[in-house]
Amino acid sequence: MKNQLLNKLRLGLAVSVAKTVTSLVRILRLGAASVLPGEIASRIQPQLLEKLSSQVVQGMILIAGTNGKTTTSLLLRTMLERKGYRVAHNATGANLLNGLTTALLENTNLFGHLTVDYAILEVDENVLPKVLSSLQPKIILCLNLFRDQLDRYGEVDIINQRWREAIATLPLETIVIPNADDPTLSYLGQHLPQQVLFFGLNEPEQYLDEIPHAVDSIYCPNCGHALIYQGVYLSHLGDFHCPSCGFSKGKLALDSCNWPQILIGLYNKYNTLAAILAAQQLGVDEASIRDTIANFHAAFGRAEELKVSGKQVRILLSKNPVGMNETIRAVQQVSGQTTLLVLNDRIPDGTDVSWIWDVDTEKLVEQGGTLIVSGDRVYDMALRLRYSQNGNCPNNHLQLIIKEDLRDAIATALEQTPDGETLHILPTYSAMLEVREVLTGRKIL
Amino acid sequence: MSTYGDRGNVICLERRLSWRGYEVKVMPLDQSATATDISQVDLLVGGGAQDRQQEIVMRDLKGSKAEALRDRIERGTPGIFTCGAPQLLGHYYEPALGVRITGLGLFDFVSVHPGPNARRCIGNLVIRVTATTLAQELEAITDSTPYLIGFENHGGRTKLGQVEPLGQVLQGLGNNGEDGTEGAVYRNAIATYSHGPLLPKNPFLADWLLQTALTQKYQKPISLAPLDDTLATQAREAMFKRLRVRAG
Ligand SMILES: [Zn+2]
Repeated sequence: MKNQLLNKLRLGLAVSVAKTVTSLVRILRLGAASVLPGEIASRIQPQLLEKLSSQVVQGMILIAGTNGKTTTSLLLRTMLERKGYRVAHNATGANLLNGLTTALLENTNLFGHLTVDYAILEVDENVLPKVLSSLQPKIILCLNLFRDQLDRYGEVDIINQRWREAIATLPLETIVIPNADDPTLSYLGQHLPQQVLFFGLNEPEQYLDEIPHAVDSIYCPNCGHALIYQGVYLSHLGDFHCPSCGFSKGKLALDSCNWPQILIGLYNKYNTLAAILAAQQLGVDEASIRDTIANFHAAFGRAEELKVSGKQVRILLSKNPVGMNETIRAVQQVSGQTTLLVLNDRIPDGTDVSWIWDVDTEKLVEQGGTLIVSGDRVYDMALRLRYSQNGNCPNNHLQLIIKEDLRDAIATALEQTPDGETLHILPTYSAMLEVREVLTGRKIL
Repeated sequence: MSTYGDRGNVICLERRLSWRGYEVKVMPLDQSATATDISQVDLLVGGGAQDRQQEIVMRDLKGSKAEALRDRIERGTPGIFTCGAPQLLGHYYEPALGVRITGLGLFDFVSVHPGPNARRCIGNLVIRVTATTLAQELEAITDSTPYLIGFENHGGRTKLGQVEPLGQVLQGLGNNGEDGTEGAVYRNAIATYSHGPLLPKNPFLADWLLQTALTQKYQKPISLAPLDDTLATQAREAMFKRLRVRAG
């Protein structure tokens, strides 16, 4: 009894401290307060995440994967809100444990009561097993597993094994929605005791002409033999089978041809399909789903569009080879001759920038126009572009501008963008936050 | 094998040749490559891999293919092997999970992964080349003490036997984080934990590999036309400055 009361008091204290921190951070204009309150409150009440999540009325939806978490979350959130549900969401990409806790705290009153129907939580792929040990989601979306930030944690195989172990212990009614086009996730889905619904593409006309260089898991996850691809949609996502053991992609729960997509780029088709499947499971009707897709606007840094000094600017987060190959593909599909690349190497970006050599930057260089580079590792990016030039004389329709200072780079890029055209900015994660700060004058913490 | 941007080394070598008017053919030495293919190459590049892929590669690299590779390296074909590749050229590699993988034993060293929970060796790497002949030849190219700048990202630790280290660590952990050595050199083959874009950031090393390969191929001394490496120099200086390493 006494213990219970103490726990309650602690929860209340944790919540009120967190709320105070949130207001302070905002009053002092330190940023959007998306991590710090959770961190402090968790110290006061260590089981905070568990206690808060058990109060979510309808259930929690976890979204894991290397690319596309934020866009998919926002789309699903919008679909649910349209039906009148109250949704908590860690929307600023703060997807480590404290970010999750902060997101739930924001919807908690001073007595520790949480007032939401659903909570959508973006979860870092390496934190997923840990999160699953303290909360039971209704749905888990597994978007993809690309090589990303390996310098922080290790390797794709190890991550996949941990996911499987963690998910297998959840209740059988948990719904798992994996990407069937990702061999590792197809394998995962085919070996779980839970309800599994696969999303993926069945559109051979979208196959790439050649397999991109960033591909990293093309061996059969079951037997280790090289997989055979009938076609690749992007990176290692495609239609595949194993000639040795017969393993092949999971059976799709949706016909991808029947659905439109949000924003630009094939990667957003995947994000759209994942959100649709989840929304259907939560009872959202088809008309509302289609309507939300048609009216969707981008999250910051994800194909977000801004108008700056009369010029159209589109920010396309580019934080790993797969993501960047896709943003380059997207840039090529729309007109635009001016591109700004910003490469940082801070903790949220991954301190290892060697991944830029796995990006097919040759395609960007072939297109010509003006390329401006900036960021902590501006010369590394410039060097990559220099080595993307084919012939033994420099490309005359390409202009390469190097600007160490980001403000200077942005100003130059805007100047170089002809009226009526769009400036594309391809930044890494921390660079994206900086770019936004320069363009909008506001910080995100 | 290519993870962690090891393709950067291939791109660098290919471009530096084609900019100078040479014709280049890049041949992937994958499962479809034969022993004859291996015996025809002039320059070898090997990259990193995940533990599971290491095992697959080693399963494939047996018999006549292994002999062809051994023969090339013994005859002095230049090569650059990063991260996973050198582990397989040593006596053995013990991965984090699973059993010991026997290597080709060309380099007198062994590599061991201390387990899935051990810290990975990650970060910027600066070394001074100490391998005697290589250091002299690089000095002849650059006219200064050769410093290599790279990035390491490896779980395994390597202990050298009777093989010359590539260099001395000024920044980073190198072979094992204990004895201050980094990499190894055997004949004209270089093993290093500095992966990926090692060559673009150290163009003189790329040119040494090319020069050695061409000299062997045409059986006469070849000197390469200089290229504009301003960007590489700027990238190096920026990193030296950031790491507060006095080099060059
Ligand atoms: Zn198989």
